Amino acid sequence: MSVVVGYVPTPEGEAALEHAIREVTQRGTRLVVVNTSRGDALVDQRYAQPDQVKVLEDRLDAAGLEHLLLHSIRGREAAEEILEAAAEHRADLIVVGLRRRTPVGKLLMGSTAQRVLLDALCPVLAVKA
Amino acid sequence: MSAATPTVSRLQGRSELGMAALLGAAGALVLWDAVHLHAPYSESDPVGPRAVPYLVAALLIGCALWLGADVLRGGRGAAEGGEDVDLDHPTEWRTVIPLVAVFLANIVLIDRLGWVISGALFFWGSVWSLGSRHYVRDAVVSLLLSVTTFYGFYLGLGIYLPAGILEGVL
Amino acid sequence: MDVWGSLLDGFATAATPANLVYALVGVLLGTAVGVLPGLGPAMTVALLLPVTYALEPTSAFIMFAGIYYGGMYGGSTTSILLNTPGESSSVVTAIEGNKMAKAGRASQALATAAIGSFVAGTIGTALLVLFAPVVVGFAVSLGSPSYFAIMILALLAVTAVLGSSRVRGFSSLGLGLAIGLVGMDYTTGQPRLTFGVPLLADGLDVVVVAVAIFAVGEALWVAAHLRRTASQIIPVGKPWMGKDDWKRSWRPWLRGTAYGFPFGALPAGGAEIPTFLSYVTEKRLSRRPEEFGHGAIEGVAGPEAANNASAAGTLVPMLSLGLPTNATAAVMLAAFTGYGIQPGPLLFDREPELVWALIASLFIGNALLLLINLPLAPAWARLLQIPRPYLYAGILFFATLGAYSVNLQSFDLVILLTLGLLGFAMRRFGLPVLPLVIGLILGPRAEEQLRKSLQLSSGNISGLWSEPVAVVVYVVVALILAWPLVARVVRRRPATDASALAAIVHPTSDGRTDADPSTTPERSEARR
Repeated sequence: MSVVVGYVPTPEGEAALEHAIREVTQRGTRLVVVNTSRGDALVDQRYAQPDQVKVLEDRLDAAGLEHLLLHSIRGREAAEEILEAAAEHRADLIVVGLRRRTPVGKLLMGSTAQRVLLDALCPVLAVKA
Repeated sequence: MSAATPTVSRLQGRSELGMAALLGAAGALVLWDAVHLHAPYSESDPVGPRAVPYLVAALLIGCALWLGADVLRGGRGAAEGGEDVDLDHPTEWRTVIPLVAVFLANIVLIDRLGWVISGALFFWGSVWSLGSRHYVRDAVVSLLLSVTTFYGFYLGLGIYLPAGILEGVL
Repeated sequence: MDVWGSLLDGFATAATPANLVYALVGVLLGTAVGVLPGLGPAMTVALLLPVTYALEPTSAFIMFAGIYYGGMYGGSTTSILLNTPGESSSVVTAIEGNKMAKAGRASQALATAAIGSFVAGTIGTALLVLFAPVVVGFAVSLGSPSYFAIMILALLAVTAVLGSSRVRGFSSLGLGLAIGLVGMDYTTGQPRLTFGVPLLADGLDVVVVAVAIFAVGEALWVAAHLRRTASQIIPVGKPWMGKDDWKRSWRPWLRGTAYGFPFGALPAGGAEIPTFLSYVTEKRLSRRPEEFGHGAIEGVAGPEAANNASAAGTLVPMLSLGLPTNATAAVMLAAFTGYGIQPGPLLFDREPELVWALIASLFIGNALLLLINLPLAPAWARLLQIPRPYLYAGILFFATLGAYSVNLQSFDLVILLTLGLLGFAMRRFGLPVLPLVIGLILGPRAEEQLRKSLQLSSGNISGLWSEPVAVVVYVVVALILAWPLVARVVRRRPATDASALAAIVHPTSDGRTDADPSTTPERSEARR
């Protein structure tokens, strides 16, 4: 029983986190934060760095929430990691941020939210920034 | 970095002997080829074409023996590190073998199918081997690269890369 | 030789619009390549070698020189701006530069690196202008025996001094010499090591070998050990420096240049030792030594200057004697041979327009680099977001393209793959790659000098040491060969010195970063 949120240090990711925190507080379950990277490039601005992780952890601690941070680099897409975390931690809800993408952009770059929406087994909350 | 388990270092030791064997084989090859050279004495060239090959063969065989002795005594060549190299895991053959296969495919196909197709397939196959799974994006980039280089070489350098089966189209 | 007149002529050639474009392309490529990890100026020049067959030699070399200098600039950008530097902190600049960036002084770090590089590059190139003709004047008086001796010294220095395993260095050299033997013997016209394959009769194209060893071998090796990391770029505005920073930087710039240039000119000097020395010196001379390790600007200024000055220094033996002292110089010499130009002391005589245009374009390139990098450094860092699959597939793609375009025959690709696999094996078993390339390039020339020397002395082997310079050089050679015996006697001391150096550089002993792996004590025990 948990709420899984796909977090990135961007406005959409912060918005998703906000909503996830609200849901967890309401339901009283655990929060699983997924912030992973394929690790393909030397720089991935969406992967939380140690100082950003600290800020995140402090915030969740201050809110008194039971939480778990999944922070691996395994060469898998974010959607895959989120879905796997949801299955493993038996999520009641997945929260993802929504980023504006044109159809061509989605074709070329892929859309994490779209994949999660289509493949998830539980309800999905898609949040705009 | 040198904290290898005993099994790993023993295996690595044996494979390093392979390198020593390679050196020895190379030296033998050079020697064999040199012996068959025709070298009549001449005033203008007292050294002849065989001298340096003999020296090189001696160097190679000497190194083969030296390296073999070093490996057997426990010396290890340090695998080259680098910015993008992660030496904590053994060689990922499932990346290298597809890469080599794609390379060979390109060699075979380049003249038949032409650079545009063969090169694009090569690039696409290479990024796939290296782990990229954005199929559409990769295909677009591959084609873009092969077409741009095809025309770029033709217009900029005057080099005619093979057009293969697209002869007449391009 | 009228140096200033020739230099002015060189500027006239280098400043033509076409050549300016080539210089610009070169510095842009060089910076991009320097920023990206895993690539390097040597590999880039190797990949471009086949392309340049279709270009004018002058333009091609102007581009190469731009790439060479540009690579230095790009490298410092990455090491300063990358949030978790990791391996790139083996560049000394990153030690202080990265700390400065994390403390919010990235602009100053970038500025001092760029300006210091410019100062060092300009002074270094000016020294090149002064020294190269002197060396040439001296070298022209040498005969074949001395020249042969010097080549032996160069081969030996690269093999035995660099790297920590002599046997592997010599093995690599042997392989390089063997590859160089393939083809027709110059004097007697007999085919060697061709095994009846007609395509080998002209020998293995140096270009194909260089591309195979540097590019394909490297790409395959990285592919086998692809690292997965994800860092971030520290945000930075436009690079600039305050007055205080200028005051603290200018002396380290000059000192760094003084360290870098001589080391670059020596056959086994390299760029690591002078940057290390510069760092240690700046720390000793600084009025605020406690700042070191936490972002001292002198620790960026000095080593960056040393780095660039070393690059300029490398060009002295390369242009005046035809001796390469690092990988990029070796590949550029391969380019000379590809054009049918004989490198060596007569280069200045035979191709003065080429050489002086090249030197002039170094000045121009340096200025271009400063202008490009100062405002654009943060933008360059965005290149780091290119996924590695694209980078390395791209290397293989361009390597194949280049090798094929030399002769338009797929046999060259077979050679490319075979030697690429050899390069892979060498990296796996710790055989250094540089001796192979230098053996490949110098081997045939050394053989030529050997045969000429013995021809002059009618087969008498004492002809090899008939000239005083040759004798001196052979003494040095003997010293180098005898060094390990001497070193074993004083074995204790090198280890303690190295650990002392390491302690100075890493006062916090976080144990992660390795400024110079080959000197840490436990490493040097495990190798021969």
